[in-house]
Amino acid sequence: MIRVAAVGDIHLGPGSEGLLRPAFETLEGCADLLLLAGDLTRHGTPQEAHVVAEEVARLPVPVIAVLGNHDYQSDRQTAVTRVLAEAGVRVLEGDGVLLDVDGTRVGIAGTKGFGGGFAGRCGSEFGEPEMKSFIRYTRRCADDLAGALRELAEAGSDLRIALTHFSPVADTLAGEPPEIYPFLGSYLLAEAVDEAGADLAVHGHAHLGTEHGTTAGGVRVRNVAMPVIDRAFAVYHLGAREPIGDEVLHRG
Amino acid sequence: MTSIDLIEYRIEHLRERLAGEEIAELGVRVEARGAGVLIRGSVSSGECRAEVLRITEEELAGIPWREDVTVCCPGPPDRSEELS
Repeated sequence: MIRVAAVGDIHLGPGSEGLLRPAFETLEGCADLLLLAGDLTRHGTPQEAHVVAEEVARLPVPVIAVLGNHDYQSDRQTAVTRVLAEAGVRVLEGDGVLLDVDGTRVGIAGTKGFGGGFAGRCGSEFGEPEMKSFIRYTRRCADDLAGALRELAEAGSDLRIALTHFSPVADTLAGEPPEIYPFLGSYLLAEAVDEAGADLAVHGHAHLGTEHGTTAGGVRVRNVAMPVIDRAFAVYHLGAREPIGDEVLHRG
Repeated sequence: MTSIDLIEYRIEHLRERLAGEEIAELGVRVEARGAGVLIRGSVSSGECRAEVLRITEEELAGIPWREDVTVCCPGPPDRSEELS
């Protein structure tokens, strides 16, 4: 059994130093890894990233992150990534990481993702260049996520987690106005998760959404935006599962 | 009636300020409720909440408004979820 801690949308910056550190220092007793689901800063500046980095530096568990739209606001996402990486955070964008947790190989594939909406009510690659570019970007994020999940499977992962900032499903957006769903996520991310396979999908971004959802293929989805979980992080206990035919046996 | 008098435009001007100013707060909802406006949501700190309300006071001057803006708990969880 693997203990996954996760939070998104912490929006740290100068003035919020030390806000989450006391809670993060309890991670050793309750989690094997910490996932950060984007929007770690307010404006995406290196100065804000330094606050985030110090908050998670030297923790006793691996820290894996994706960036969110706020972390792109100042067009300094490369510098933000570098600051976090220097503090030991593995920042994913279209790639994955395989961790050995007491003999269990846990793969995490990550992308920020993007919007577009959900099946039957979504944008498409048609019309103006801006519209086509919008959807193509989301599709590229989804394709990269699927590729990373497949690579983790080929590398022998026992468990796989898809980490995004934007939501793969509408379930976890309940509470947000339906009119803005296309700006909160895309079914393309869920399709990638279902086609490549995963044991859990974790995202943030939807502050007024809800925590629990599933993809059409049955993968559990958790919205860990801090305003949703209302604590420094949520913890999920995840056991390795072995698919046999149409059945799923639990062995963790 | 000018746009200054129309609540729906005032709401959007407030949302633009919340997103564009230093606070960069896109996570609160601003909605027309009856003859007034409701601001609701959860923010990361007491300072952030105070800033949301200060900007709201300025931007919605002359319009009745109410708020239900709370602050996220920064403490560790008291439970976990079994997904096996």
